[in-house]
Amino acid sequence: MKKLSMHEALNQALREEMHRDERVVLLGEEIGKYNGVHYVTRGLYAEFGKERVIDTPISEESFTGVGVGLAIMGMRPVVEMMRMDFSLRAMDQIYNHMAKIRYMSGGRLSVPMVLRGPEGPGPNPGLTAQHGQQLTVLFAHCPGLRVVSPSNQYDAKGMLKAAIRSDDPVVFLEPGPLNNKQGDVGEDDYLVSLDHGEVKHEGSDVTLIGYGASVALCLQAARDLEHDGVSAEVVDIRCLRPLDMGPALASVAKTNRAVVAEYAWQSYGPGAEIVARLMAEAFWNLDAPVTRVSGQEVPLPYAANLEELSKPQVADIVAQAKATLR
Amino acid sequence: MSVQPQPPISGAAGLTPRQLTHRLRQMLAIREFERLGEQCFRDGLIRGYYHSYAGQEAVGVGFLNALDLSRDYVVDHYRDHGHCLLLGLDPEQIFAELFGRATGVSKGKGGSMHMYSPERHFLGGDGIVGGGLSVACGVGLALKRRANDPICVCFFGDGALDTGTFHESMNLASLWSVPTLYVCINNLYSMGTRVEDHSSLSQLVDRAQGYGVKIEQVDGQDVFATTAAAERIYQYMRQTKRPYFVEALTYRYQGHGIHDKALNYRTEQEEAQWHSRDPIQLLAAHLITEKILSAQQIEDLRQQIVSELQAKIERAKQAPQPDEAELTQDVLA
Repeated sequence: MKKLSMHEALNQALREEMHRDERVVLLGEEIGKYNGVHYVTRGLYAEFGKERVIDTPISEESFTGVGVGLAIMGMRPVVEMMRMDFSLRAMDQIYNHMAKIRYMSGGRLSVPMVLRGPEGPGPNPGLTAQHGQQLTVLFAHCPGLRVVSPSNQYDAKGMLKAAIRSDDPVVFLEPGPLNNKQGDVGEDDYLVSLDHGEVKHEGSDVTLIGYGASVALCLQAARDLEHDGVSAEVVDIRCLRPLDMGPALASVAKTNRAVVAEYAWQSYGPGAEIVARLMAEAFWNLDAPVTRVSGQEVPLPYAANLEELSKPQVADIVAQAKATLR
Repeated sequence: MSVQPQPPISGAAGLTPRQLTHRLRQMLAIREFERLGEQCFRDGLIRGYYHSYAGQEAVGVGFLNALDLSRDYVVDHYRDHGHCLLLGLDPEQIFAELFGRATGVSKGKGGSMHMYSPERHFLGGDGIVGGGLSVACGVGLALKRRANDPICVCFFGDGALDTGTFHESMNLASLWSVPTLYVCINNLYSMGTRVEDHSSLSQLVDRAQGYGVKIEQVDGQDVFATTAAAERIYQYMRQTKRPYFVEALTYRYQGHGIHDKALNYRTEQEEAQWHSRDPIQLLAAHLITEKILSAQQIEDLRQQIVSELQAKIERAKQAPQPDEAELTQDVLA
C-alpha cells in the first residue's frame, strides 16, 4: 500500500492499463499537452504519445461519439469529461448510442468504452452552478450503461482498471470533492468489482448508505456517532447501475435503521431509488422510516457560506441517524 | 433553389456489361424491396417507422459497390434498407427485422432504423439525425491504425448539416486526418422542410467548407457519376488518409417516412421532373441503347426480383417472435 491522492490512483490505473493493452486510448480536453486539468492524465502524453492520448477540441458530443466509434471497432477508449457537467453536451451520444448500440444490434456490437470525469462540488471551492453539479442520476437512470463511483483511492484504481476491461460502456463518476485527498492504494495490478457495493465501516445500530463523495461524509458521521455511543455501519453503494443493494440490505437486516446520504438533489435522485428498494426488500426489517440527507435543491451557489449550506452536512447525517433510534 | 435535375447521364464509368446489369439488378431490388416493404407496413406486419430509399438508389449503388468490404466500414442513417441490401445482408433477415422476428438482423430488437451487421462491416443505421457523424469519425480513427488503407463511409441526409455535431465532426475528421467519407444525400427536404428553408446556403457543399476537407457535388441520379466519383474519392482517401465530403443530389419518391403521406410541401410538377430522371430508368435506357439488355429482359429481371423478395417475405413471416427471455438480454454484456 502507498498513500496516493485520488487523481494519482486514477493516473496509475490508466498507465497500467495502457501498458497492458494497446487498444486503450484516452480522449478529452486538455488531457495531453496540458497534462490534465485535474491531473488524472498527468505524464501520459509524454509516455504514450499523441496517438494514445488524444487532445480534443471543446466538442463533447462529437468526441464522445468518436469514443463510441472507436469502441465498436474494438478499441478501448477512455473519454474524459473535464467536468461531468459538460457531459450534458454529449447526452445524445451517451443515451442514444453508447448505452443502446448493444441492445439495438441484438448483441452484435458492443461498446467497451469508459466515460469518466469528476462530479460534484470539488476538489476546489467556488465551482458554482455549471461546474459542480452531481448529475449521477442522469446516467444511473439509463439501461445499457454501467455506472460506478468510487469512494476512496484504493477503489478508484481497481474500479477504473475493471471499467477499462469491461465489455460494457461504463460511466465512471469520480467524486470531485475527493480528487486531491490521499488514501491507501495498492501498488499491484488489482481490480475492484463493478458489480458489488461494500461495507466500509462496521456497526450495529444504524446503517449509513452513501455513494461516491458522500461515503466520506457517512464515515465522518459514524465517527461522530461513536462518540455519542451509537454504532453506525457505513455502506458504500459503489455500483449504481446495475444497483447492488446486497450490502445495504444485509446491513439493514442487522441494524433495522438506515439513512441515505448524497450530494445529489433529493427529488428523483439515486437516494430515492435506494430508499424505494429498501421499502420493497427490507420493509419488515425496518424499525424506523428511512430518511435522506441530500444536497439542497438549488443551483450550486458561489458565496462561500451559501455553497457550504448547499452541501449535505455530516451533522445532519448524525441527527437523522439519531432520529431513527428514538 | 438552383438544384435541378441535370439531363444526360455520363457514360459507363468503365463498367463492363455484366457489372452494369448487376447494378441495374441492385437498383431494382432496392426499389421493389421498398415497394413490398411499404405494402407489408400497410398490411400491419411492420410497426413504427418506415423510411423508403426509393428514388435514391444510384447513390448507394455507386458508393457501396466501390467499397472493399474486406477492410472498409459503413456508418448509416435511418434510411438504411437499401444500403443493407447493397452490403449483402440477406433480404429475408432484413424483412424479419422489420417484422420484429427472432431471425432479424438485430434479433428483432432494433427495427427499421437499427440494422447492424458487423460481418458485412455495417455499423448500423441510426435513428438520430446526425447521430452517426461522430461515430464515423471514431471508426475512421480506428481504421487509420490499420495497415491496409481502409476507409469509412458515412451516409446522412441534408437535415444533418444543421446539427452542431456535423460541424464538430468535420473539424475532428480534418484535424486528426481521418479517412472517413461523409456522403450527404441531399433529397431536397429535411423531413418536410425544403433546403432553402433550413439551410443558410442553398448549395450544401458550401456548408462543408472551412474545415480543410475536399468537397464535391455529384449527380445522385446517375449511377455512372456516383460510381466514378466513389472510385476516384476512395483512391484519394486511401493515399492521403484524409476525410472527404460529397453532396449527392437526389430525390426521395415517398414521404420522409411512411406516415408522411400528404406531401403538401412539394409539387407534382417537381415530382414529375425528378421521376423523368429516374436512376433506374436512366441506367435501363443505357443498357437498352447499348443492346446489353432488352426492355423485355429488364422487365423479366424485375419480376424475378419481385418473386424472390416475395418468397423471402413469406419465410420471414414464418419466423418466430423473439423469445420472451430476449427482453432483458443484450442490455449489458
